[in-house]
Amino acid sequence: MVRIDFNRLRFLVIDDNAHMRRILRTLLHGFGAREVYEAEDGAAGLESFTHYIPDIIITDWAMPIFDGLELTQMVRQPGANANPYVAVIMLTGHSEKKRVVAARDAGVTEFLAKPISAKGLYQRIVNVVANPRPFIKTKSYFGPDRRRNTNQNYVGTERRKGGKADVIRQASLLDKVRAAN
Amino acid sequence: MATIKEKPSISTFADHEVITPQNKLRKAVSAEPLAPGDDPVARAEQALAELSSEFSSWMDSECERLDVARQGVAKSGFTKSTKEALFHAAHDIKGEAATFGYPAVAAVADSLCRLIEHTPDATRIPFKLVDQHVDAVRAIIREYSRSDAEELSAMLTKRLREVTDEFLVHENRGRPEYLENILGPSLAPDQIA
Repeated sequence: MVRIDFNRLRFLVIDDNAHMRRILRTLLHGFGAREVYEAEDGAAGLESFTHYIPDIIITDWAMPIFDGLELTQMVRQPGANANPYVAVIMLTGHSEKKRVVAARDAGVTEFLAKPISAKGLYQRIVNVVANPRPFIKTKSYFGPDRRRNTNQNYVGTERRKGGKADVIRQASLLDKVRAAN
Repeated sequence: MATIKEKPSISTFADHEVITPQNKLRKAVSAEPLAPGDDPVARAEQALAELSSEFSSWMDSECERLDVARQGVAKSGFTKSTKEALFHAAHDIKGEAATFGYPAVAAVADSLCRLIEHTPDATRIPFKLVDQHVDAVRAIIREYSRSDAEELSAMLTKRLREVTDEFLVHENRGRPEYLENILGPSLAPDQIA
C-alpha cells in the first residue's frame, strides 16, 4: 500500500457540530496529521480556507449561514482564490442519490456518508492524494472530472463535444509510485 | 528564493477545457511502503477508542438538544427556525449515533428527518408524531444497556417508520415521482464513490 505522509498535509475541518470536529481531529491525528484547522460554519470555513490555504477540506453539508455545498461552489471559482483545485471531501449524513449527485455537480472531490469510519476517511484521503483527477471547466461546471471511468460501450448522447480527445487518460500518481518501486 | 508558480496544463476543446493543475499533494506521497506493522487506520481507531469514554455524555447532550428543539416546535409551531433546529438536531444524531455506540438510535432519527424534510407543508406534521420520535430516541438511549434493547428499538423504529411513510404518501399524493424517490432505499456507503 502507498504510504502517505500525513504530517505533510494541512487539513481544514468544517462542521457546526463540535463533537464531530473532535472526532475528525482525533482520526486525522491518528493517521499522523499535525496541521488540522477547524471552522464551525460555512462562513468561518471560507475565511479559514483563505487564511490557511489547506491541502484538503473536510466539510459537513448541513451548516448555518451557508452550507457545505455552497461553500464548495465558492471555493470552485477559478482565479478568485488561492486554490480553486483544493480537494474537498464532503462528510454528511445525507446519502440519497440526489444529494450525492448534487455534491458531485458542485465540485466535491469525494463523498463520505456518516457514520464515519477510520477506514472510509483514510481511503478518501489516499484517493485525493494519490489519484488526483484533472479538472473540467465548462459553461456550467468547474471541478474534478466527474468521469471516474471510461466506458467503451457507452451508448447515448455525449455531453462534451470535441471528439475522442476529450477523454484524457492519465496514469494515477499511485500507479506512478508503484511503477517507480 | 522565490519560486516560479507552476501553471496548470490546459487542453481546450469545443465546449470545455481539461485542466491538469500542479499536484500540490504529491509532496505527501512517499516512495517507501508502510513499515511492517504500521497501520494508520488502526492507529486512528485506537485514538478514537481512547476518546470513547466521552461518547455517552456527548450522546446525552445531543439528545438534550433534540428535546429543546422539540419544545421550540411545541411552543411556536413549525417556523423556519424551529423546523431547522429540529431537523439539524435529528440529522446530527442520525450521523453520530453509530460512532457514539448507539447504532439503533440512528434509524429513529432518520425517520424524523424524513418526516420533516419530505412533508411539503411542515405545519401539517402532527406534533404527536414528532413527540413519539423524540421520545423514542430518548427511551432507546436511556435503556440501551438492556439485553433486549436492540429488539425493542427495532420494533419501535419499524412502527414509527411505517406511520411516517403512510403520512408522507398522503402528503405527497400529488407528486408520484417525488414519492418514488423518497420511498426508495438510500445509497449504501459502499455505493458512493
